[in-house]
Amino acid sequence: MAADPQLKERISELIQEHPVLLFMKGVPEAPQCGFSMRVVGVLDALNVDYGAIDVLPALQPLREVTSELSDWQTFPQLYVKGELVGGCDIVEEMFESGELAQLLGVEQPQGAEPPEASRILPGGPQQSPPMQLG
Amino acid sequence: MADLVEIRELIQAALPGADVEVIDEGGGDHLRAVVKAPQFEGLSRIDQHRLVKAAVRERFEDGSIHALSVKTSVPG
Repeated sequence: MAADPQLKERISELIQEHPVLLFMKGVPEAPQCGFSMRVVGVLDALNVDYGAIDVLPALQPLREVTSELSDWQTFPQLYVKGELVGGCDIVEEMFESGELAQLLGVEQPQGAEPPEASRILPGGPQQSPPMQLG
Repeated sequence: MADLVEIRELIQAALPGADVEVIDEGGGDHLRAVVKAPQFEGLSRIDQHRLVKAAVRERFEDGSIHALSVKTSVPG
């Protein structure tokens, strides 16, 4: 099924506008899937600002959009500087190797292992509020 | 419920000569595929993952796989 053109255009704009953009299930404060939670954990460990889009309210339409934009249909999806980096597996691998910190232009945290899939600490990095796609 | 053997065969068919391992991480629909393939040489991680996911796309679409973790590497 073809992606909705307006949605596709809006998503494309968002990807270009935000240096770091995460499509996830749920929101950073309350991820609704283990993989999304893990990516949020990695981004928090790196202390980077990022935008987050909750795909759950429009899951199938968003799958169609990302399928056409990036040939990728599963979430979470992390975009950096307008390019799809990958899902949880790739994000965690790149975090462990230091590549992700390098890509984001931040310091690799000491003793870097994928953080516990636990809660964001208060006073953590600022995130944009969940985006309205409407 | 996905058939682990079938999933392995689908990936194997898409990547002849690859070393493929498919593990059930729980519930029969959360799977992990560990794939070592010469075809991955020179490809970005995301492109390597795309190849694996393309091989099993039908099983995602029909709901037999709910989640697939993928780990890729190049032999040698």
